Amino acid sequence: MNHTRTNSVMSPRLSRWTGKAVLWIFLLAAALLALFPIIMVVLGSFKTNQELTGSATIWPKTWQFSNYAEAWKNANFSRFTLNSIFVSVATTVGTLLVASMSAYAVDRVQFIGKKAYSLLMASTLFISIGAVVLRPQFDLMVMLGLNRTLWGVIIILISAHATCYFILIGFFKSIPQDLDEAAMIDGCNFYSVYWRIVLPLLRPALAVAGLGAFQGSWNEYILPLVFTMSNPELQTLPVGLANLRYGIGAAAEVQLMMAGACLSILPLLVVYIFANKSFMQVTLGAVKG
Amino acid sequence: MKLKKVHAYVFVFPSLILTLVFGIYPLLWALRYMFYDYQGFGTPIFIGLDNFGRVLRDHEFWSSVGNTGVYALGKLVVTIPMSLLLAIILNRKMKGRTFLRAVYYLPTIFSASVMAIVFFIIFNSYNGILNQLLIRYHIISEPISWLGADHAMMTTIIIAIWGAVGNYMLLFLAGLQGIPNDLYEAASLDGANEFQKLKNVTIPLLGPVMQMIIMLAITISLKGYESIMVLTEGGPYGTTEVMYLYLFKLLFPISAEAQSIQQLGYGSAVGFTTALIVGGITLIYFRISKKMNDIY
Repeated sequence: MNHTRTNSVMSPRLSRWTGKAVLWIFLLAAALLALFPIIMVVLGSFKTNQELTGSATIWPKTWQFSNYAEAWKNANFSRFTLNSIFVSVATTVGTLLVASMSAYAVDRVQFIGKKAYSLLMASTLFISIGAVVLRPQFDLMVMLGLNRTLWGVIIILISAHATCYFILIGFFKSIPQDLDEAAMIDGCNFYSVYWRIVLPLLRPALAVAGLGAFQGSWNEYILPLVFTMSNPELQTLPVGLANLRYGIGAAAEVQLMMAGACLSILPLLVVYIFANKSFMQVTLGAVKG
Repeated sequence: MKLKKVHAYVFVFPSLILTLVFGIYPLLWALRYMFYDYQGFGTPIFIGLDNFGRVLRDHEFWSSVGNTGVYALGKLVVTIPMSLLLAIILNRKMKGRTFLRAVYYLPTIFSASVMAIVFFIIFNSYNGILNQLLIRYHIISEPISWLGADHAMMTTIIIAIWGAVGNYMLLFLAGLQGIPNDLYEAASLDGANEFQKLKNVTIPLLGPVMQMIIMLAITISLKGYESIMVLTEGGPYGTTEVMYLYLFKLLFPISAEAQSIQQLGYGSAVGFTTALIVGGITLIYFRISKKMNDIY
C-alpha cells in the first residue's frame, strides 16, 4: 500500500519513497517467485545432466543444445508433440464449431426444448463426480472402435464444450439480428448466414474461446493417460513427460525431462506472449458465463 | 418459419448428442453401478447399499478426505489474500502494471502435470535444484526432504498456490473493475486515505464478487489432484493422498502403491460420496458467507 500518512519521524517525502520501495520489493519478489520454476526449467534444459544433478548453478556453464535433439529423437518427443498438436487442433476446431452452431440456434430461433437444452448445458458445468465417468466414456469409445486412436480423446474433449458455449452466447447478443434479416433478403439462408455473416463477426469471441479450448486440451493429462495406457504410441506431451519419471534410468536423465518440459510449455508460452490480452479475457469470460 | 425451427434443431443436434452421450450417460452409468459389486469384468452383482457401508468404514478414504481439507485450506489461506492484494495493487494506475499482471498470470497457463514434473526436479531431496542452491548459499547444511512424509503436503500446497494466485488475481481484478470510479473520487473529496478507501469502498463493494470467487476457489481446490498424482502419487505413506486421487486409483490401479484390483462399483460409490462432500461444503460456505453479509 502507498502510505502517504506523515505520522512517522521521517519527512513526508521520504516516507512516501519508502512506501513505494516496500511495494516494489514485494511486487518484484512475487514476480520472481512466479517466474522461478519457469526460468529454472528453461535454463536447466540447456545444462548437462552432471551440472543439473551435481552443482548448484543457475546459468548453464556450457549450453548443451543437444538435449533437445536427444529428447526429440530418443525420448520420442517428436511423436508426443505430433499427438499433442493433433489433439489440441482437432479439439479446438470441433469445440468452436459445435458450440457456435448451438449458440447461434439458441440465440436466433425460438424452438421447443430450448429451455431444457439451456438447463442441460448449465447443469453440465456443475455436475462432477470426477474420474468415475472415465470408465463409461472409455467403454463407449471401445464400442465405437475409437479407443485405439486419439479421436476418442478428442471427441470426449469436444463433448465438454459448455464453457465455450456460454462464452459465445454472451457475445451473440452483440451481433444485431437485423444483419441476419438483411442477408436473408439478399438471398442467404440459415446456413449461409451462419457461415458468412455470423462467424466472421464472431471472430474475436472465437479467438478468446478457442484459446481457452486449445490451452485446456494441450494441458489435458488424465484423459490421454487413460486412453494411452495400452497404446503408448498415442501419448501426448504431458503423459509422455510424466512417464519419463518412471522410465528406466529416468533419474539419470533429468536434462531430457527438462528439455521435454520446455518443449511442452514452449507453444503456450509463445502464444501467451503474443496473445496476452486475449488470454486475460479467457478467464474474464469464464466468470461471466 | 417452420423450416427455421428444423434448421435450429440441426444446429443444436451435435451439441446435444455429445452432451447426452459423453456427459449424461456416464453419469447415469456411475449412479447405477454404485449399487453393484463390479470389478470391470464378469457379471456385476447387485448389493444394494453395501458399497456405502464400506465407504463409511474405509479409513484410507476418510484420511484422504482429511488430507483434502488440509490441502484446500492451506492453499486458500495463502492464495485468496495474496491474489486479492496483488489485484488491488495492480488495479491502480502505476508503471509496469500490464507487465506484472502478465507475469503473475503466467503460471496458470501451464499444464498441472508438466509443472509437477518441473517442481519434482526442483524439490527433489538429493539432487533437487532448491536444496543445491540452499546448501550452496549456506542457508541450510543438510538437504531438506521436501517430498518426504514430513514436508510433502506443504510442498504440494506451495505448488498449488504457485499455480493459482494469478488466476484469482485476474478474477478479483475483473471484480474491482466493476466498482465505479466516482465512489473513490467521492471518498477522496471526503479526505479518505488509501486504507480507508480500501476498507469502506473496495471491500464492501467487492463482497458479492468475492463470495463467488471464494466459492469457486473452494470447489476447485477440493477437486484438484492432477499435480499431486504426478508429483507424489499420494505418497509417501498416503500423506498427500486427496480424495479425488484416491478415487482415481480405485478406478485405474496403475501405480505400485495403489490397490491392484479395479473396483468400479465401489469406486462409483466413492465418487458419489466425494461429490456429496464437495457439494455439502460449498453449500455450507454459501450459507455462512450469506450470514456474514447480514452482519456487515
